[in-house]
Amino acid sequence: MVSPILLIAVPLGLAFAIPVLGLASKRVPRYVPVIAMLFNLVVSVSLLPHALKAPIVVRTAGWAPPYSIHLVAGPLGVLLSSLIALIGLLVAVYGIDYIREGAKVKYQILYILMLVGATGVVLTGDIFNLFVFFEVLCISSYALVAYRGDSTGVEAGAKYLIQGAIGSGLVLIGIGLVYGTFGTLTMADIAANVSSVGSFRLFVSLAFLITGFGVEAAIFPLNGWLPDAHSSAPSSISAILSGIAIKAGLYAIARVVYTVYGASSILPFLAVLGIVTLLIGEMCAFGQEDIKRLLAFSSIGQMGLILFALALASATGISGAVFLIVSHGLAKALLFLASGYMIYRTGSRDISSLNGIGKRMPIMSLCFTVGAFSLIGLPPFVGFASKFTIVRAVLGTGSTFFITLLAIGLIGTVIEGAYFLRIVQGFYFKPAPEDSPEQTEGKVPFSALVPVGLLAVLILTIGLFPGIVGRVLGPAADDLLDRTAYVQHVMGD
Amino acid sequence: MSFLSSYIHYIGCFSLILIGLYVVLVKPNLIKVIIGINLMGTGVNLFLVTVGYIHAGTAPIFSEAAQQPEGMVDPVPQALVLTAIVIGVAVLALALSLAIRVYDHYGTLDLRKIKALRW
Repeated sequence: MVSPILLIAVPLGLAFAIPVLGLASKRVPRYVPVIAMLFNLVVSVSLLPHALKAPIVVRTAGWAPPYSIHLVAGPLGVLLSSLIALIGLLVAVYGIDYIREGAKVKYQILYILMLVGATGVVLTGDIFNLFVFFEVLCISSYALVAYRGDSTGVEAGAKYLIQGAIGSGLVLIGIGLVYGTFGTLTMADIAANVSSVGSFRLFVSLAFLITGFGVEAAIFPLNGWLPDAHSSAPSSISAILSGIAIKAGLYAIARVVYTVYGASSILPFLAVLGIVTLLIGEMCAFGQEDIKRLLAFSSIGQMGLILFALALASATGISGAVFLIVSHGLAKALLFLASGYMIYRTGSRDISSLNGIGKRMPIMSLCFTVGAFSLIGLPPFVGFASKFTIVRAVLGTGSTFFITLLAIGLIGTVIEGAYFLRIVQGFYFKPAPEDSPEQTEGKVPFSALVPVGLLAVLILTIGLFPGIVGRVLGPAADDLLDRTAYVQHVMGD
Repeated sequence: MSFLSSYIHYIGCFSLILIGLYVVLVKPNLIKVIIGINLMGTGVNLFLVTVGYIHAGTAPIFSEAAQQPEGMVDPVPQALVLTAIVIGVAVLALALSLAIRVYDHYGTLDLRKIKALRW
């Protein structure tokens, strides 16, 4: 068994080796992210059977927790790190030819750093280490949003940075309060001692942590940056931001609320926030004319649904949430990647300019349609399986409160169906605009067709055989919910 | 009086945080907003140090064998602050370089005039 620490160490080393490799040959740097993510994917998947048996605890410098900074590779962490590596790998392949101008070498470094940050967030067992990896993720994504250096990108990057920096400040205050209260930063150690502290002191620190992580997770009042950042970034980066980065924030919230604090009393509040986020996101998406902004708002909506499912506090609910994280990650990455070349081809981001593109770019349009149908939740795609799990979980709780919320939330899904079907209808059944200039640079290279096609195939395969992922979902949910087992595994001997 | 003197560090660092937040929320100039973020970061760092502070404590260095850990300040928050300062510097550098780019494109740093993007 390989140590999970390599999931962080190897890509990090490769990222900083890129400038040196770039001296040797100009063509090498663009392949480095592919190698790094391929390595991560192989290692993560090979770790999965071990993590399912028992979480792997990696101690640094030979000190046992709570004195060391350690990694805990449980089922949830390894599942998410596999997802990160998979999407990271496909988007890295896509990025080989997609990134045409600008500082290409720096793009590749930042790209790996962003994924390392996300991997670190899902694997760490130390709350300050969580913050550090979170910052690695955030800082590299601020820079990547502004990567093109055009006016919208820079503006979006500045907005994102201002809100993100305040969020990180709040997280740090929360960590300070936690350390002041418990005298430890190890999540398992805090979890073991949480019951000995008055609820008000817990609430204050938890409120700081949730608000801080909530900025990155794009929970409703804190998501002003998201539509700008996700739509102004290059499409490959939007795919990672929507597919992975916001999930890292949500994972941090779930880990803190469930494992560390065991705070079940704030869950109804989070459920309401989730539904509000869902409705706001979908309603804003409905009115968009810009395809990437529409996808960004749709991400907000899906994050709301995931938050709602996480707040159910039942094993099925959390399985559904994790399943939706997987399915939304795949589908949204696919949609952004496909729309990237459609925008290159038509030279415009207006939805109306994409009319009739089904004839000009048949494969891309077909894959986009698969992704859109999966997001709406149509069978046989993976989105249906995940949303169905959530609905089943809500009905399983039998509580009027959650069922009412779900009923409101389903309105959001209907709106989602409406705008995605409108786009797909435009692809196939509307004539192309008369004056559409045929951009020659829009030829889709092989390196873009492969990841987009693979994502579509994955969405269909997992949709037809949900058991592929389903086996891991149950243990992943237990990983979050079962606090005593978590504490035992980490603190151990 | 005794309340003030025993909690003066906490009052100080949370005032800094609030001043920083106020600047971010109210000032329209991008550079001032960045200064506000930094003020807030300084307040947070001070707060972290304060958490490990003991009145009249010494540095946690065991120079003599018989020395006891009582009366020494907690070194962990100081290590955290070092990390947080480094992160703060990175954010500050990135923010300032973005501000330069914003000025290049819009010819102003007034956030009320920079609104190509909106919901």
